[in-house]
Amino acid sequence: MRVAIAEDLALLREGLVALLRENGIDVVAQAQDGPALLRAIDGHKPDLAIVDVRLPPTFSDEGVLAAIEARRRHPQLGVLVLSQYVETAYASELIGGDGAGIGYLLKERVGDVRAFLDALQRVADGGTVLDRQVVAELLAGAPAGGAPRDGSREALSGLTAREREVLALMAEGRSNTAIAESLIVTPGAVEKHITNIFAKLDLPACDDDHRRVLAVLTYLRVPR
Amino acid sequence: MAERARLPSDVALRQGGRLPRWMPLQAAGLSIGEYARSLVRRLALLTALLLGGIWALDGQGYFWPAWAWLGLGVLVLVDFGAAWAWRRPPGAVRRVACVWTLVGVAAVILVCTWLLTWLLAGARSFWPAWALLGLSTAGSSYSLIALHDRVLVAHGRRALRARIDMLTRTRRQAVDAQAAELRRIERDLHDGAQARLVALTLQLGRAEVRVCDHPEVRGLILDAQREAHLAIAELRDLARGLVPPLLADRGLIAAVRSLAARYGLGTSIDADTHRCLAPAVESAAYFVIAEALTNTAKHAAAQRSWVALRDERRVLAVVVGDDGCGGADPHGSGLAGLRARVEALDGTLSVHSPAAGGTVLEARLPCG
Repeated sequence: MRVAIAEDLALLREGLVALLRENGIDVVAQAQDGPALLRAIDGHKPDLAIVDVRLPPTFSDEGVLAAIEARRRHPQLGVLVLSQYVETAYASELIGGDGAGIGYLLKERVGDVRAFLDALQRVADGGTVLDRQVVAELLAGAPAGGAPRDGSREALSGLTAREREVLALMAEGRSNTAIAESLIVTPGAVEKHITNIFAKLDLPACDDDHRRVLAVLTYLRVPR
Repeated sequence: MAERARLPSDVALRQGGRLPRWMPLQAAGLSIGEYARSLVRRLALLTALLLGGIWALDGQGYFWPAWAWLGLGVLVLVDFGAAWAWRRPPGAVRRVACVWTLVGVAAVILVCTWLLTWLLAGARSFWPAWALLGLSTAGSSYSLIALHDRVLVAHGRRALRARIDMLTRTRRQAVDAQAAELRRIERDLHDGAQARLVALTLQLGRAEVRVCDHPEVRGLILDAQREAHLAIAELRDLARGLVPPLLADRGLIAAVRSLAARYGLGTSIDADTHRCLAPAVESAAYFVIAEALTNTAKHAAAQRSWVALRDERRVLAVVVGDDGCGGADPHGSGLAGLRARVEALDGTLSVHSPAAGGTVLEARLPCG
């Protein structure tokens, strides 16, 4: 896999490059701001771009804008946006059309190397990876016994704590096996939770991880 | 007052046509005093004309009516001067006005007397000069003594206003500086401690991969990583409390939209502001809206909720409302904190939440 990185803090950029290289990933370009990243992508045609949200010069949302622009120019490119905080507004902008080949993760997720590399692979393959924190924030808007006028939120508040965790990991695009490993339960138990979630939320059951993510996002009304 | 009252009386006379035009009419609503003054003025004019006629008929010669005219003129002048002085506010100012009326009348008598002796009996030196100087000195001295304390009060008031202006300005500067400082701290946390912790967790992750066959070491590394994650989460919450990231990155309207989406209240947002807001105003508006929406979500059981941001002259008006159950306590701790935040900007916060239902919270934030 060939990767371009845009990160302005040298400490993190170098750490990330070292992490990727020792796991056999080819880092073809390193940029410090949006325009440099776009030039690097145009020049090197990588499979994946890893982009920090806050980039020079204004250190606000250049990373999000650069990611969207990169996807517009190269629809086949996978883009993984890393940030120290998650905003549902950015998530919905990034997912945009069909959400294929888009990832949005908290930066500290790089610490779990195997899960991070797995996420990279899924984004490069056109999957969707959304940080579980985004889902947690969307769920936080639906307090238990909450808003009666909104049917879907009522249904969300009917989920158990465990089911909420599974839902968040599903939105992250993980397979049943990965979810089972992360929660330290058997894959069978995960399957049972997922069946329950889909039944409670009245979603059509499906096995494809990516389609499953989209169904969940649609359900959570991440605006598109 | 007397001027205004005389006009209708003259009109009434002309319309009635029975009384002579030069006689004032008491029935027109004039007080005894006004009636007497009006009568005196008219009689003075009549007398002056009469004496002038007698002099003309008497074969002319030395123009003696001039002295009578002077006397009558002084009478009318005293009348006008007294009326003018009486219109001053009571106290020292009125007393000073009375003194200056007397000084003025005396000066007119002196100057006119000199003028008449000069015209009628030939040129002389300007003898009233010293008397005029004495009169004006006396008037000025009296004014200075009488108005001395008022001048001091006015000076004190000016000094007070200047101090209030200065305090208002410097307090606003302090609040702005504080808001800017909070944003700087948030940036520093983001680029400093948070970034270092992320780098730490990344290195721990790389180490963890290498010690797969040493479960004990791997366990220690995972523990360290968990601690790092907790620290990152705590710093993130801290930074969010200082300045919500979306507010810092995209401004008030984007942050409010995200906030409303998070609560899922179907809040309608009417943002009619194109102004570049100071960080302190932006933060205050954001936290007002955040608190109001939190209360709506927690307590109101509302069907509808709305946020309006309006630019008014030098003021940003923030209105957050819902059609929920109402009865919010305007002195609750959350609202008291908001009020302190708004008042630090010289703004006002009002809460309208009748027991019958509905809550509207309005903050008005000056942003000149």
